[in-house]
Amino acid sequence: MLLLMSRNPEEPVYNRIEEARAALGLSRQDLADKAGVHYQTIGYLEREEYSPSLVLAIRIAKSLNQEVSELFSLTPIKKGK
Amino acid sequence: MSKKNKFYWFEGVTEKGVKSLLNEENSKFRWLRPQKNRRVLVILMALGLVLTSMGSYWPTLKTNLGMSGPVSGVVYSVAAVFVILAVIGGYSFLRIAVRSIADAPDELLDERQIAVRNTSFRYAYFILGYIIMVLLVLMIFAPELQMFQSEGNDGSYLVIATMFACASLPSMVMAWREKDI
Repeated sequence: MLLLMSRNPEEPVYNRIEEARAALGLSRQDLADKAGVHYQTIGYLEREEYSPSLVLAIRIAKSLNQEVSELFSLTPIKKGK
Repeated sequence: MSKKNKFYWFEGVTEKGVKSLLNEENSKFRWLRPQKNRRVLVILMALGLVLTSMGSYWPTLKTNLGMSGPVSGVVYSVAAVFVILAVIGGYSFLRIAVRSIADAPDELLDERQIAVRNTSFRYAYFILGYIIMVLLVLMIFAPELQMFQSEGNDGSYLVIATMFACASLPSMVMAWREKDI
């Protein structure tokens, strides 16, 4: 059925945003304000339900004092490492 | 930040209105946010649109049911006003339920919200295409099949329902599909 069609058929982008955010003691809202997005977008990113654009990935990495390559990956990331 | 409340004429929203709905601290109408409640609203809205369009079928229905006289006219008028007010209310609640994302301009949304809005418009366009196809088939075959009584049928309720469907379908699609709004 039309409305039940797959919402994101593209390859997911894995990340460690939640881990990096927690390490800095930031809330989702804090990170959202820094990156200039809605706080729910951070939630979608952390649940890996949304793949960010390169611009947003760079902005988030900068907000979390990390390199994009440290934060995002095309292969599943072992969390807590 | 500018204190002026910018009005977006094309989208029919104000900057402060959208920002207020996007702000999580705004606790007004929070009960509309869970997907289950949004889906109930979408079903009610769809029902309201069908009922509104049925207004154009009323003269035929009245004849078929053998109803006539002033009482049926009053019942019809009161019901029509009630249904149209309910549809207007439903449309307003729908916009609130999806935080006006379906109507907001790009500059007030982030990239995910823009993607969600664009996808909703894409599906709404398909659905509207199907609705228009049904209306066209009705327009072509209804006179042949004598589905409608010619007297009293001006199609105005069908036009009102179609206009509301055009305006509310992107919000309805978004309210139905999105897990978190």
